[in-house]
Amino acid sequence: MITELLFATFFGLLLLGIHRKVIARIQRRPGPPIWQEILHMLKFSFKTTWVPATASTALFVGVVLVAIGIWTAALLVILSGGSLLVIFAIYMLHKIVEHGFGLSSGSPYGKFGGVRSVISAASEIPLFVTVAAIAIFTKSLMISDIVAYQEFQGPLLFTIPLAAVAMYVVLLSKMPFGPFSIVESKELVSGYKTEHFGVWRAGLEVCNGLKTYVLLLTFILVFIGSLPFWMILIAMILITVSLSFTCALSPMLSPYDSVTIQTLIAGLMVAYVAILGVMS
Amino acid sequence: MKKQYALALMLVAAVPAAGTMVLSHQGLIPFWVYAAVLIAGFPLFVLGLGLYWMAREGEADIPFLGY
Repeated sequence: MITELLFATFFGLLLLGIHRKVIARIQRRPGPPIWQEILHMLKFSFKTTWVPATASTALFVGVVLVAIGIWTAALLVILSGGSLLVIFAIYMLHKIVEHGFGLSSGSPYGKFGGVRSVISAASEIPLFVTVAAIAIFTKSLMISDIVAYQEFQGPLLFTIPLAAVAMYVVLLSKMPFGPFSIVESKELVSGYKTEHFGVWRAGLEVCNGLKTYVLLLTFILVFIGSLPFWMILIAMILITVSLSFTCALSPMLSPYDSVTIQTLIAGLMVAYVAILGVMS
Repeated sequence: MKKQYALALMLVAAVPAAGTMVLSHQGLIPFWVYAAVLIAGFPLFVLGLGLYWMAREGEADIPFLGY
């Protein structure tokens, strides 16, 4: 598990590097090398580190530990074929982590990032609807059962495509530089993570790598099913590239528009699942 | 943070994780114990490693007070 954990961290960071590279090439910039996020993580590890005078020390440091811990837990759950609900509960905890990051520093930029993280909770509603759609067909929310179901019935991507679209929107809302990335938008410097520097930011980079890996792996296992390991990695890269295209070709929305669109998607998904429920 | 404290933090995180990994592979402890130790230990190890790299080994420089 330690090997898988280290691999997930570095491959997740590599995916974020590919994300930046693709966006840059679409915008006709050379862009950073694809291993840039790994270099970032290492670079921050070597920076001088302290706690700002305005920060709440316990929360400022503790939230970094929690951020890495919850995504480590998520990886272990998914690798052991555990419940999808636990993965999504951890996803919700990450919202609290973002909020904690923002509020702990005492910086107004961080605070605004934290507040925006809370108001963008609408992005999680399609996630719950996705769970409902999956449960209607598989009668179980254990990842091992969902994978087993797809071996006989075919990928859920073709059975409930709109649920896959909703999950894709959730992935999109967690990718940097996307239309829904209001918690890190440039008018807030770096949003909730503005004041976390040095080792604290290196920890946050580790968390981001793990989070990206876990969310993409969840999408593949839940909507495509079991694949050989190398095909899972290729599928992750392909999904990342498609997300990068979406991020590069769509403007970053204002907080109000972001929440409105996510709420509309959630409303459509509720109607979709209601129809699925009636028809099944 | 002093270098030896950061090293101690790393060891406190790494040694139990390595130990429970071996015990779990041997089937001597249930998987959830190993998972719990790893979930608690990995974040501490990451921060401990970073703090260890940058921790001062000697006394801090005397600040320049000007003329």
